[in-house]
Amino acid sequence: MAMIESKENGITILAVDGNLDAEGTQAMEVKVLALLEGGETQLLFDFSSLDYINSSGLRVLVLAYQRLKKASGKVAICGVKDYIQEVFEVSGYDKIFSLFPSRGDAISGM
Amino acid sequence: METGMAEDFISFRMTNKMNCFKCFHSKVEDFGATHGLSMKIIFHLTLCLDEMITNIISYGYADFDEHPIDVTLVLKDGVLIIRIEDDSEPFNILEAPEPEFDVPLEERKRAIGGMGIHLVKNMVDDINYKREDGKNVLLLTKKICEECCSRG
Repeated sequence: MAMIESKENGITILAVDGNLDAEGTQAMEVKVLALLEGGETQLLFDFSSLDYINSSGLRVLVLAYQRLKKASGKVAICGVKDYIQEVFEVSGYDKIFSLFPSRGDAISGM
Repeated sequence: METGMAEDFISFRMTNKMNCFKCFHSKVEDFGATHGLSMKIIFHLTLCLDEMITNIISYGYADFDEHPIDVTLVLKDGVLIIRIEDDSEPFNILEAPEPEFDVPLEERKRAIGGMGIHLVKNMVDDINYKREDGKNVLLLTKKICEECCSRG
């Protein structure tokens, strides 16, 4: 798993590549908590190169959503592969997160 | 045996002290590649193993000892069977509570409680659980469509 952080139009983008297994999820959680502590309120997860996520990974996204909702912030996700999209649908989280096809769509739509 | 009946399986033993995902990920990918399974089916298979084994490792043991977890994957006539056998505390997936879907996310007592089990239930077609000789024996069955599997 690799994470690349960038910023565009005031939106903090976290591109997560590879597998969000237990180890990767823990690293992402540490990163997300640090971003939230640092006062970021607009978070975009770019999952276009993400191959794997489980319920623990979803939990980190929910954590970000819950924290940012209190701060009138936003969490969005872009570029998910179709089989990962299914996980969002089955969990009902597709109704909570804004899911965008691409990074560009997300930045203009957030 | 009928002609054209393709059956193959892999079996491996891991323990609760091992890194769950890393232990089986390459085995599942190799199994999938050998049988021409789609990315989606390999993902479902990996997710089911990950969620169930993580559950066993996280909540299943009252002691701090090393325990075996035996996994078998069988592909027969377009049906994929995942068998997990462990000696952890009895856990019947069929009786596990569903996530609190009717409660708004902010008010759920458990932010994601039961979601892993819910995902597994939705990724497979049939679930069979039995407690036998002090062991949990879980069978997850998944039908694989023709297009997803080049070798029946």
